[in-house]
Amino acid sequence: MNQWMRAFFVARKDVESYYGKPPLVTWGLLFPAVMILAIYLKDRTGYLDVAPGIIGLTLLFGNTSMAAIVVTFEKRTGTLERLLLAPLRVRTIVLGKALSAALYGMATSSVLTLGLCLLLKMPLTRPGVFILGLVLGGGTFSLLGIIAAVSVKEVFEAMTLLNFFRFPLLFISGVFMPLSKMPFWILPVTYLSPLTHVIEIIRTGVHGDCTFGCLWIPVSCALLFLVASCILVVPVFRKRATR
Amino acid sequence: MQKERKSAEVAVRVDGLSKRYGSIRALNGVSFEVRAGSVFAYLGPNGAGKTTTIQILAGLTERNAGEVSVCGLDVSVDPVAIKSRIGVVTESSNLYPELNCQRNLEYLGELYGLPFSTRRERALQFLEEFGLAEKRRQPFRSLSRGMKRRLTIAAALIHLPDVLFLDEPTTGLDIPSARSLRALIQRVAKQGTTVFLTTHNLAEAENLADDVAILIQGRIVAQGTVEQLRNKVGEAKSLSVQCSPPLSPEIAKRGCPSVREAHLKDDVVRLEVSCLHSAILELAELVKREGNTIDQLICAPPSLEDAFVNILDKSRETARDRT
Repeated sequence: MNQWMRAFFVARKDVESYYGKPPLVTWGLLFPAVMILAIYLKDRTGYLDVAPGIIGLTLLFGNTSMAAIVVTFEKRTGTLERLLLAPLRVRTIVLGKALSAALYGMATSSVLTLGLCLLLKMPLTRPGVFILGLVLGGGTFSLLGIIAAVSVKEVFEAMTLLNFFRFPLLFISGVFMPLSKMPFWILPVTYLSPLTHVIEIIRTGVHGDCTFGCLWIPVSCALLFLVASCILVVPVFRKRATR
Repeated sequence: MQKERKSAEVAVRVDGLSKRYGSIRALNGVSFEVRAGSVFAYLGPNGAGKTTTIQILAGLTERNAGEVSVCGLDVSVDPVAIKSRIGVVTESSNLYPELNCQRNLEYLGELYGLPFSTRRERALQFLEEFGLAEKRRQPFRSLSRGMKRRLTIAAALIHLPDVLFLDEPTTGLDIPSARSLRALIQRVAKQGTTVFLTTHNLAEAENLADDVAILIQGRIVAQGTVEQLRNKVGEAKSLSVQCSPPLSPEIAKRGCPSVREAHLKDDVVRLEVSCLHSAILELAELVKREGNTIDQLICAPPSLEDAFVNILDKSRETARDRT
């Protein structure tokens, strides 16, 4: 049986074990749903500008929280050591963990999107692009979540470490306003955030037009972040997982 | 689960193994061999380097120097191939708390690449053999400590490994659970799996092991069969005395200069002595003086524990002389 299949088994077990954990429900579903509802009640037409950002945010919080919970919980109970003792390559373990986290983030974002489309009549002009955004964001955020989680021991430590990065990203990544409306001095920092590019792809999927003018710019940048995360995660995991 | 016993072959070979954690030298030129199909007890006080050795053999930790092979394969060359041929039970029972017993075994079967029908069949078979059939639908977290330990061993055997590493398997268990676990280890060994056992319980090692190595401060200070190590102690150095009225161990220790340790168990005082001849004479004097009568006096052969304490003492003396 090849390593791909074993990565799938790791992911399936995580889905069985962790999808119902309270922090995932609150951060992955409740938090974005309440946020979008609050914005809708304030401005019943302007919420469409914010909706792609909130979907991207759901993806970020859902994926990173899932990855953090899975890795830190298993590190604490010793079950991560059991995985390391099994005939699995480190990249197989990482792939399995990232897959379960990515699926969770993509599922919660899709549920939110479905709710927005059905209840608040949000358009989905280019569904293929929208899904591409979810896939690229899902992969990158899951891997970043694993990198953060494998460095600490407790779930709360992982969440604290992640929030240290996640909350600033809220302000610099065009979550609450399109890039075109952001102050010029913040733009250079904005482009360094993977969330910016994921939200731009999602925004293009929803509205049909891209702020960058060309869709390939955010797609290439998001892909670059995904590749960088892939390269970084294996050595970090190998070094930190047994500590 | 039945396998052919291949005692002539070597299952684990370690030669000049060294490992450092910063300035601390955890292992210092450790060498030993484990015969295939045997039970090998790896003994030593806390911090001696036993777990580090297992971690290196299981491919979890990298070594600084030395050669290590398991089932003829170098651990650092192909860790995945070796991991598919070994089973490891760590100090803690580390299965998935939220999964039930059967799912835990089946999941481990998935990770080891067993086909669906094999892993299901084997999970049910092991649950039966390990006395957990009735608990198969219960989550792992709800089991007693002894049951958790049994299921952890079953999980380590799910792919029928050639070598089973057991790190302190009975630590923290009550007497019946520990005894049932020892019987289980004996059964596994009889079926041909090589067992590499670390334990603090020397009676357990004596009961289970064919070969023993004693590790102190990262060095092997003695190795051989249990019999060979016992013989190193020389003459018998334990006495069991039953007196009427019962003799207090404190009085025995105070009244006989040759007695090093004295323990009372079921009216029998067990004495660890430095010289058997003097101890018997001193004891006779003491009993006469105290007005007791000796009902039974047994001169016990040296146990593995006697051998271990003797080796440990010598090792400490040598270390003191060096400093």
